[in-house]
Amino acid sequence: MEQKTSVKVLSAKQITIQNPLCEDWMENPLSYSQDYVRAVDPDFKQFISAGDARRMGKLLKRALATSLSALQEGGIENPDAIITGTGFGSIENTELFLDALVREGEQLLKPTQFMQSTHNTASSLIGIHTKCHGYNSTYSQKGFSFDSALYDAWMQFRIGRIKSALVGGHDEMSPVFSGFVRKAGHVKEGEICSEAAVSVLLAEDGDNAYCTLEGVRLLDAPSEGALSKVLADMTADGIDAVMTGMSGNGENDSWYGFLETMLPGVPLLRYKPLFGVNFSSSATGFYAAACCLRKGCVPSVLSVSGQPVECGKGILVVNVVEGRHYSFSILKPSCGR
Amino acid sequence: MTGRSVLITGCGIVSAIGQDCGQVLDSLLRVRTGVGPLKYLKTEHTEFPVGEVKLSDEEMERLMGIAPDTPTTRTALMGMIALHEALGNAGLKADDLKECGFVNGTTVGGMDKSEQYYLDFIENDSRNAYISTHDCGSCSEMIADRFGRFKMITTISTACSSAANAIEMAADMIRLGEADIVVAGGTECITKFHLNGFNSLMILDHEQCRPFDAGRAGLNLGEGAAYVVLEEAGHAAARGAKALVRLSGYGNACDAFHQTASSPDGEGAYLAMTKALKEAGLKPGDIDYVNAHGTGTPNNDESESHAMMRLFGDDLPPVSSTKGMTGHTTSASGAIETVICILALRNGFLPVNYGFCNPMENGIVPNMDLHKGCKLRHVLCNSFGFGGNDSSLVISAVE
Repeated sequence: MEQKTSVKVLSAKQITIQNPLCEDWMENPLSYSQDYVRAVDPDFKQFISAGDARRMGKLLKRALATSLSALQEGGIENPDAIITGTGFGSIENTELFLDALVREGEQLLKPTQFMQSTHNTASSLIGIHTKCHGYNSTYSQKGFSFDSALYDAWMQFRIGRIKSALVGGHDEMSPVFSGFVRKAGHVKEGEICSEAAVSVLLAEDGDNAYCTLEGVRLLDAPSEGALSKVLADMTADGIDAVMTGMSGNGENDSWYGFLETMLPGVPLLRYKPLFGVNFSSSATGFYAAACCLRKGCVPSVLSVSGQPVECGKGILVVNVVEGRHYSFSILKPSCGR
Repeated sequence: MTGRSVLITGCGIVSAIGQDCGQVLDSLLRVRTGVGPLKYLKTEHTEFPVGEVKLSDEEMERLMGIAPDTPTTRTALMGMIALHEALGNAGLKADDLKECGFVNGTTVGGMDKSEQYYLDFIENDSRNAYISTHDCGSCSEMIADRFGRFKMITTISTACSSAANAIEMAADMIRLGEADIVVAGGTECITKFHLNGFNSLMILDHEQCRPFDAGRAGLNLGEGAAYVVLEEAGHAAARGAKALVRLSGYGNACDAFHQTASSPDGEGAYLAMTKALKEAGLKPGDIDYVNAHGTGTPNNDESESHAMMRLFGDDLPPVSSTKGMTGHTTSASGAIETVICILALRNGFLPVNYGFCNPMENGIVPNMDLHKGCKLRHVLCNSFGFGGNDSSLVISAVE
C-alpha cells in the first residue's frame, strides 16, 4: 500500500469569536472581558438562501458557510470525504427539544428540533449541499472531536481511498449549556466559553496551499516513554514552535508541562485566549497554525512568552483533553509558496 | 483489500434477545422476538412496543460491580456488559489494553440521565455529576475505563450507522499498522428523547414491526450494545488467538438526499454495498446472506430493496432484517447485527426476518427459514443512518 507522507492544507476557514471568514485576528484581535461569548456571524446570504437559513440552527449555518468558503478558496467543488468533529452537535435544537420534553410533556414535540439534534447533521448537510456521495463521518469525543476527524482523514489519504477531504470542527454553545459546561469543568476559570466552526480542506495536490500536514497521532493516557517517542518521531526534521491548548488556567496548562521537559527551548504558542474554549477549540488551534505557516509569521499575541517566534520549519499542534487524550499534528510550510 | 488482513477474534453483545452471544444465538435459532410492552423506560408513550434489554440499571450495575452511587448511564452500562464479553472472548486482559484502540459508536450518550435531571442541572447543583456523563465521548470513556486504559479512545456519532462506522475506522487503523488490536462497536439505550423524536417523525409502529412487509408501518425502538475485537492476522496468530471471522471489506457512502429520509433509489445504500464488495474483491454472487438495515419504515425498506435489487439483479441472496427480534438498536445496530452475522457464519444458519407476512410491491421477499446446516462464506451487513450515513460490511468465514 502506498504510504502517503504528506497532504496539502488547501484552505482553512473559521467562524469564531474573532471576525469571521478572515484573518483579522492576526493583526487586530478582538478581546473580550465576558466569560461567555458567542461567535461573530457573517452574513449568511452569500452561502444559504433565506428560506433554508430559517430552518437551520447556528451550527449548521456556520458549518455550511465555513465549508463552502473553504471549498471555494481551495478550488474543489466535491471533496472525496466529509468528516466532522463536534462535541455536542446542534445543542440549541437538542436543548429546545429536551426542554419541551421535560417541562411540557411528551405530546407536542417538534420533529425539526429532533432532526437537528443528531451529531451528524453538519456532515450530512454538507454532503447534501455539495451532492457528495463519498466517505462521510462524524466524531464526538468532547474536545478531541476535531482531532479524531483529522486522524480519520489522514488515514483515508494513507489508505488511498481519497484525494481530498473537508474536515470540520463545529460547536455552538447555548446560554443554558454554557452554564452546564462550567459546572462540568469542560470550561475552566479564566477561560472564555465560546463557539467555533472551522473547516479545513485537505488534498493530495493543489496550488497555493497554506501548508502541508505530515502526520496525525492520537493517544489516551500515554506513558512518558510513549510521549517522548511520538515527539521524537514528529519533530525529527525540526520545528519552530508548538501550538498548544494552553489557556492561562493552571490545571489546563499543567497538561502541557511535558513539552518544556521533552522539547526544551522550543517556543510555545496558544490560541485559546483569542478563540475561547469549546469542544471544537482544537480546530481553531489547527487553523491558527495553518494561517501562521501561510503568512510565514507568528503574531506575537499567540506567543506564550511574548517573544517573537519563527515558523520557517513547521509547527507541531498539540491538544490535551482532560489530561488524558493527546493529539499531535505536524504542519510544515508548503514548498510551492 | 489493501494493507494488513483484519480478523475478528472476539465479540460481545447485550440486546433484547439475550445478554450474551449464547443467549442471542438461542433466540435467533428459536426465532424469538425480544420486542414487547415497555417495562424499564418511564414514558407517557406506553403504546409503542420496544426491544428493551431485560435488566434494570441497578441490575446492570450489580453485574458490572459498579458501586450504587457512581454516576453512570444506561448506555454506558450496556456497553460495559458487551465489552466485558468481547474482551473475555478474545482473551484480552486489562494489561493488554494499553496496546489496543477503542472506537465506540453512540448518539444518545447519557441522554437518559439528562432528561431525568435536566431541571436539576439548571436549578441546583445536586446532579452536576450527570452533566459530565451527557456527551457521547464521556460514555466511551466510562465503558473503556471499567476495564483498564486503552491506547486511544474515540467516538463516532453517525446516528444509526455509528457502530458500523466505528468498526470501519478500527479496521482502517489495523490495515495501516496504527494498532494491532482495536475494539469497536456501539451502544445505545432507549430514551424518552429519541422515542419522542422518532414519534414526532411518525416512524414508530404501534404494533410489532414488520420489515419488508407490505403492511409495515414503522420501526420498534430497541436498545443494546455490541463490540467486536478486530485484530491483525499475524498478531492474532502470534498470541494464539482464534479467529471467529474475517472482516474482508467495508464501504461508507453518503446518500446526500435528505436529513431523515432515504432516496427512493437507495443511492447511498447501493454505493456503500458496492464499495464494500470492491474492497473485499468479491462479486455480488459471492454473497450468501445480507443482514439488511430493514427498519420496518415504509421509506427505508423500499429504498434498501431498490438498492439491493440494483446490486444483485435477479440473483438476490437470502436477505433478512433481524430488527423484528431486537428492535432498532439505533447507534448500536451495526455492531449488534455484525455479531448476529458472526453467529450465523459460525453456526451455519440464516437469521429469519421476524414479522414478515406479505410481500411489498417492488420489494424484496426476505428469508423466513433458518436453513440450519447451511455453509456461509461471505455475508453483507448493512447499517444506514439519518443524514444518509450509509455503511456496509463484508464478513467472511475463516478456514
